[in-house]
Amino acid sequence: MTRPFLSVQGIEKTYGAVVAVQDVTLDIAEGEFITFLGPSGSGKSTTLYAVAGFLEPTKGDILLNGKSLLDVPSNKRNIGMVFQRYTLFPHLSVADNVAFPLRVRRRPKAEVDARVAAMLKLVRLESMADRMPAQMSGGQQQRVALARALAYNPPILLMDEPLSALDKKLREEIQFEIKRIHNETGVTIMYVTHDQEEALRLSDRIALFNAGRIEQIGTGHDLYEKPASRFVAGFIGNSNFFEGTLSGADRSIRLPDGTAIRGVSLDRLAPAKEDVAIMIRPDHFRLHDGSEAAAMLRGTVTDTTYLGEYTQLAVTTSWGAPLSVRLPQHDPAVSVQKGQPITLTCAPSNVRVF
Amino acid sequence: MLLDFDRLGALRAVLSGIAVLVGAFLLLPVIVIVLLSFGSSRYLQFPPPSWTLHWYTDLFNDPDWLASFATSAEIAIVVAIVATLLGLMASFGLTRGRFRGRETLRAVFMTPMVMPVVVFAVALYALFLRLQLNGTFIGFVIAHLVIALPFAIISICNALEGFDKSIEDAAVLCGASPLEAKLRVTLPAIKAGLFGAAIFSFLASWDEVVVAIFMSSPDLQTLPVRIFSTLQQDLSPVIAAVSTVLVALTVLLMVIAAFFRRGKPA
Ligand SMILES: Nc1ncnc2c1ncn2[C@@H]1O[C@H](COP(=O)(O)OP(=O)(O)OP(=O)(O)O)[C@@H](O)[C@H]1O
Ligand SMILES: [Mg+2]
Repeated sequence: MTRPFLSVQGIEKTYGAVVAVQDVTLDIAEGEFITFLGPSGSGKSTTLYAVAGFLEPTKGDILLNGKSLLDVPSNKRNIGMVFQRYTLFPHLSVADNVAFPLRVRRRPKAEVDARVAAMLKLVRLESMADRMPAQMSGGQQQRVALARALAYNPPILLMDEPLSALDKKLREEIQFEIKRIHNETGVTIMYVTHDQEEALRLSDRIALFNAGRIEQIGTGHDLYEKPASRFVAGFIGNSNFFEGTLSGADRSIRLPDGTAIRGVSLDRLAPAKEDVAIMIRPDHFRLHDGSEAAAMLRGTVTDTTYLGEYTQLAVTTSWGAPLSVRLPQHDPAVSVQKGQPITLTCAPSNVRVF
Repeated sequence: MLLDFDRLGALRAVLSGIAVLVGAFLLLPVIVIVLLSFGSSRYLQFPPPSWTLHWYTDLFNDPDWLASFATSAEIAIVVAIVATLLGLMASFGLTRGRFRGRETLRAVFMTPMVMPVVVFAVALYALFLRLQLNGTFIGFVIAHLVIALPFAIISICNALEGFDKSIEDAAVLCGASPLEAKLRVTLPAIKAGLFGAAIFSFLASWDEVVVAIFMSSPDLQTLPVRIFSTLQQDLSPVIAAVSTVLVALTVLLMVIAAFFRRGKPA
């Protein structure tokens, strides 16, 4: 394997007894868009700030092209960053804000002017060059911040929840812009969010954080289809969890009502484990057509909701657990009425056991 | 709100009346002084029999008064500059620093505001006697600096607390050294607070009299001190003229300070 572009190796940061992040390791390829996703306080910003150089990890190393960044001060790291809060310099116009990093680098005036014009064009704010930050909306300010962060062509762009203060419509609009800018510039982006839809929409890969650690790194598809832990399964997308036990020499899974589920991969499971959590996504259920099936669940429909492309069923299993089921409109079960019994199946490959 | 001014009915008239009276009580002496300074009576007769600029001519032709003006202004300007610089450094420590006893330190910086000025003046006098600083320009500046510093610190701390440190961080990531980021981004962003600090420090020194009396010598007297000592010998309308100039300058500075605070971007 070739040497990774940016490599975060076993980062740990503690504040007294508080462990902010622990054992965070990840490799990032050049031009990749990687997103840190996770609940509040899980260590996303801490990891990003360590890369930016605003805090020094208590353990571990950060390598860029194989060289440690830790001894390089923030202002020499040549990294761009867009913050959660609005950080335009309040006394400078939009154009002067974008020019700031270039002027600090003592670039000739002609180059600065050309670069500022190009950056404002990139974020589609050419007409606002002379405005002051206070005269702009939040979304416009974040676009200027993006232009400023990219003005000096940094190889890495960090973004810490840059859109969290914006309303949903504007957020989607700027997500689209960010995606476009990523394609146009090829800059490597590390992006923090706690909005999973945003993460899925933008990223090549997602690092899911929980309690200061990375639970799983992978594409959105990996995290959704092959969650490595119960936390990941619960965090990404909707999921149904219920209890089960492993029994017998073949270690087949038994549901609380005694039904067996066969053919499920138990590779990731601790060998001695007996009580397990079973996870099935709402859209992985199908109506049982009477043939032999590896996984069968019996229950009663308690509610149906027509939602256009699919129908949502609320089902109570025979042992009383609530189940959320999402069926495509062509599935025959869509016609099932409230109060009727139902038997659902699921492909064994879609059953996850933790 | 329970005590809404609009719902007080007849009480409103009473309250407004009291407010006007208090205002008049506070302002009337000043107005009388200003009027007297333009009055022709040598014995400060009120209302003045006729009007004149005579006392102002006297004032601006008297080298002693002019010397005191210069002394006051020089001391106040140096105090304003030094207090703003020291206040800036102290405020960075107090708002950004993470160390034990920070709140205590903040309280210590504020003590000159609550300590009886006479006590402070006597203590300083005793200390300066040893250091041979009494009656010197430096002594004056140091003494007034202690009085002015709390005002400077309050003004700059407020400005710094209202300034998001992420903005400075952004400047650093843009390539500016930490010092450069402060000079090019943080200071311009808090300039209203800096001007406020300078103006209030200037005023704190400009009209300070208690400490100044202890610090002064026959050839180094600030304006308030000379007013006080002149008053003890002779009640001349020139004093009214000096006072008027003093008030006018103070009001001017207050207006400038208010203007800066209003002009601050929201
Ligand atoms: N200066 C500090 N002192 C003590 N604990 C801290 C400090 N900074 C962060 N922490 C702790 O470190 C943990 C991780 O914080 P971090 O800011 O990285 O979370 P986050 O994932 O970015 O959360 P959010 O989504 O809320 O921004 C939190 O539990 C936080 O309380
Ligand atoms: Mg954060």
